[in-house]
Amino acid sequence: MSAARRSEREAAGRAGGFGAGGAGGGIGAAGHAGARRTGDSPGSPLRPAVFFLRALRHGLARGASPLEAVAGAAGGFPAEAGEALEGALRRLEGDFPEDEWGFDEGFAETVYPLLELMFERWWRAKAIGVSKVPGHGRALLVANHAGVLPWDALMISTAILREHPLPRCARFLVLKWAFDLPWLSIAVRKLGGAVASPYNAIRLLEEEHLVTVFPEGERGIGKSWSERYRLARFGRGGFVEIALRTGAPIVPVAVVGSEEIYPKLADVPALARVLGTPYFPITPTFPALGPLGAVPLPSRWRIEFCEPIQTMHYGPDAAEDRRLVLELSEQVRETVQEHLLEGIFERGAPFL
Amino acid sequence: MAGRRILLTGVSSYLGTEIARGLATDPSVEYVAGLDERPPRARLDGVEFIEADIRSSALTDIVPRTRVDTVIHNKIVRRPGPGVSARAAHDVNVIGTLQLVAACERAPNVGAIVVRGSAGIYGAEPEAPQFFTEELARLYPLRTRFQRDVGEIESLFDAFARRNPDVVCTMLRYQPAIGPTLDTQMTRYLSLPLVPTPLGFNPRLELVHERDAVEATLAAVRNPVRGPVNVAGPGTIGLTRLLRRAGRVALPVPRPLFATATLAARRLGLANVSPDLRRLLLYGRAVDTTRLTEEVGYRPRYSTPEAVEDWVRSRGGRNLATAVGELLPGR
Repeated sequence: MSAARRSEREAAGRAGGFGAGGAGGGIGAAGHAGARRTGDSPGSPLRPAVFFLRALRHGLARGASPLEAVAGAAGGFPAEAGEALEGALRRLEGDFPEDEWGFDEGFAETVYPLLELMFERWWRAKAIGVSKVPGHGRALLVANHAGVLPWDALMISTAILREHPLPRCARFLVLKWAFDLPWLSIAVRKLGGAVASPYNAIRLLEEEHLVTVFPEGERGIGKSWSERYRLARFGRGGFVEIALRTGAPIVPVAVVGSEEIYPKLADVPALARVLGTPYFPITPTFPALGPLGAVPLPSRWRIEFCEPIQTMHYGPDAAEDRRLVLELSEQVRETVQEHLLEGIFERGAPFL
Repeated sequence: MAGRRILLTGVSSYLGTEIARGLATDPSVEYVAGLDERPPRARLDGVEFIEADIRSSALTDIVPRTRVDTVIHNKIVRRPGPGVSARAAHDVNVIGTLQLVAACERAPNVGAIVVRGSAGIYGAEPEAPQFFTEELARLYPLRTRFQRDVGEIESLFDAFARRNPDVVCTMLRYQPAIGPTLDTQMTRYLSLPLVPTPLGFNPRLELVHERDAVEATLAAVRNPVRGPVNVAGPGTIGLTRLLRRAGRVALPVPRPLFATATLAARRLGLANVSPDLRRLLLYGRAVDTTRLTEEVGYRPRYSTPEAVEDWVRSRGGRNLATAVGELLPGR
């Protein structure tokens, strides 16, 4: 690849993050800064709701009673409404940014407060070692995977946006059939998802993005309740090959909590075959409650970012070295597994 | 160096005529022959028109007689529809190419062949890489008739290039073209009064502007490279954003009914959505254009969003309000 093209991609990579969180600051301050920044960019139809949520969170953080907070948040409503309407109209005219991967910054900014709310209130998540994620340039985040919807990927992104001194939006790779389902395919792509394929991973890394991958893949999704937090096989180490080929550091990430949000009690392979999905899980809420079964259980989360493993010094040709690839793959797997076990202990009761 | 002698098939199509015009004004080109079944609509100065059916064996005499050094193959039917049945399209695509390849075997002067092929060979798949590079063709089974046609065309030229290593064969893989004067499957679909879209899907589309479509072929003639080269405007645009920019009203249809909806549009004689386009509208497709810019040396003037803007401008500024107004009865 030519130098010109590379520098183009670097520029694209730098532009990739969107500023929604504050620089590790308090909730209130971050809320204000974020709000102003949202105001600068082309708005989105959900803007009033976003401001309402922000104001509500701000009120609650100050220690106001829930009722007062709601009243206070509603007070700011009309002032924003006109601007939000204008933004919504602009979106209807098709005037919104969208990069060549389908990542939609406006949409991501709109959804971010919701994700933040899930992070803080629903899952009471705690992020540890966020600063170990490189602040710029390519890096591969490798995490344990569970659940059909990529909540874990979104929460990792949210943790980095909220707490990293140089916040940026991590892209993530998800299983192919998410792109065969209506609406999910749109949402995943707009939030920075791409199909799990080595070609996509390499291209994203060459564009200097942060990329979250789940080497457990389908086996991770299909883990039953009794197998939770026991890492499945890490494929053939394809993620290590990608890291070696692109020289990207590998950051192991242990996500505790994600494996309890959809406890899979049983599987109905016949139905899965009919629907073309890898599994048809039976959980306490699905399919008994219908679409409500997609609401994840409020477990307590703990996301730990481990020490990055540098791969630059091996050189791109090392990707062919099966022994090295398997060794590194095993090393990453052990790191994640260890921190998972530690994390479960640290966190305590899953749902309290 | 004496001027180049060039034969162009499919000269009467819009892009064929434009390519011929570009060649005729190029001072380094001495002779241009344009081959087709019917004469071009516009008068072409400096182009000898040869009326012949590409499927006939007469080609074996015609091509050597012109003593051309370069052949451009532009007679590939992308849109079976009124006047061209699916079978006739298949015949033109496969038998026509076969006759042309056979004729090139008999023409010792031919040193370069440029084919205006299709990126349709990559297909449109949910699990596809988001950017196809040239070596990723045939990653998935060829699902539609047109894809199998393109596959066969590529195999024919591959075999020819292997047998004749001194001939440079360039296979241009075009994404769908769009532009103010083009009338294609894509522009007809986008011009429907109500545009049926698959409910819950927003495919990434990648298009090439008609100007770039012509210039890319001319660039490949000037600088032939071996093997496949993707041709597309950089960047992608989501179908939803495209329709909103164009002020079209989308009619989201659940996926199982999408084929029926497009068939209804065909019954009404409004637009013919081929199975290829249907899959494209579900899953989308984008390609990597590094080879085009770095090896052929052609940088498209219009990115995909810019090509769409140009098309929208040419149709007169519309927005959603006027579009809804047009749909109201009593006008």
